[in-house]
Amino acid sequence: MNDFANNCHYLGTLWHIFKGQATKETTHRFDEKENISGFQQLKTSVQKGIRSKILEQYPYIENCINDVLPKKEPFRLMKCHEHIEVLVGANGDFLFFRHREGFWVPTLRLLHKYPYILPWQQVDKGAIRFVLSGANIMCPGLTSPGARMTPCPKGAIVAIMAEGKQHALAVGITSMSTADIQSVNKGIGVENYHYLNDGLWILKPMK
Amino acid sequence: MSEDCAAAGDEVSETPIVSVAVKPQYYVTESGLPVGPKPDVEYPLTVLYCGNCGLPTEYCEFYAEHEKCKAWFEKNLPSEFAKQARIGDGKNEGDESKETEDDKKRQKRGGKGLSKPKKKEGGPKKISLSVAPRGRKRLTCVVGLKSYDIDLKTAAKFFGTKFACGASVTGDDEIVIQGDVKDDLFDLLPEKWPQIDEDSIDDLGEVKR
Repeated sequence: MNDFANNCHYLGTLWHIFKGQATKETTHRFDEKENISGFQQLKTSVQKGIRSKILEQYPYIENCINDVLPKKEPFRLMKCHEHIEVLVGANGDFLFFRHREGFWVPTLRLLHKYPYILPWQQVDKGAIRFVLSGANIMCPGLTSPGARMTPCPKGAIVAIMAEGKQHALAVGITSMSTADIQSVNKGIGVENYHYLNDGLWILKPMK
Repeated sequence: MSEDCAAAGDEVSETPIVSVAVKPQYYVTESGLPVGPKPDVEYPLTVLYCGNCGLPTEYCEFYAEHEKCKAWFEKNLPSEFAKQARIGDGKNEGDESKETEDDKKRQKRGGKGLSKPKKKEGGPKKISLSVAPRGRKRLTCVVGLKSYDIDLKTAAKFFGTKFACGASVTGDDEIVIQGDVKDDLFDLLPEKWPQIDEDSIDDLGEVKR
């Protein structure tokens, strides 16, 4: 439980970082030159650990884990400022990211390929543009007629889909359970970690 | 004995059934959202990304410079563009006028996240080659590859292997190749990167370092 509290605390600032608002210059967002401090080849034992952690957290990934994280090909860790770490696959794609010791969260590029990794939450049409500029997802956007929810506990990593669209537009963590979202219907329902066109999205694949 | 064997066999056959039950399956929740991989869809999916804004094409309309996206579509994916246009004709005509009205009424907020990343000003796409003396030998200096979105590091590596010499990235947009390879570059550059036009390569001749 404590672990989860930490996650919430740390990850709450995440979208600020990808947006670049945690840095002094508000106009700059997450940037290749400024925010990346280096790459690291991981020990195989560590890689196994990460793999099993991801498997444990996202049961559905079992179907594609060998495509996402092949056993034989080593993946790298991209260390960024503000304690962000990004898993980089053998071909240079970004796969997962995390903040400090938080959950490994799949990037949108990965999620577009395998949308079933995460439970979906669908927001209504009106919410799309706010989500795309980095807003957290408010409860009414998840409960209105155009929206749908997959039952989730509090603190689950979810994919944000949109009414009438096929692909995910953001990844976030539920800040209350879906039942609570339905009944309270006020305030932040899902915290936005990563959305289309944020700094991480724009980052080019690493060679 | 034989009973024991049968019992053991039963146990063995039971365990995989349990694991199958645990293994996530595709189903649709009450709200209608699917969970798990769809059985009739092949993964990984390939998503069509817009060349202008980089978003999946269905989100283009939410981008600040949607017009440019449209132009890109028209140019690169005429078939897709026509499809979208047709859909648009059907219902969006009314919507658009409403939207602009909406925009006027409403103060635009917090666009920072979606605002366009600063692109290097387009500028003239030009490459200039020069040769500089270095003792008894010469260096070739290539400036301007960056304006074609070419990765300088890989380009330098490529030159090095191609000419069997040293090549390094020396400045913001400069590659220095050891040896006088200027004449070869005129042919090589357009061949390696088709987006480069031979006419846009400039010859600065001998330049003092």
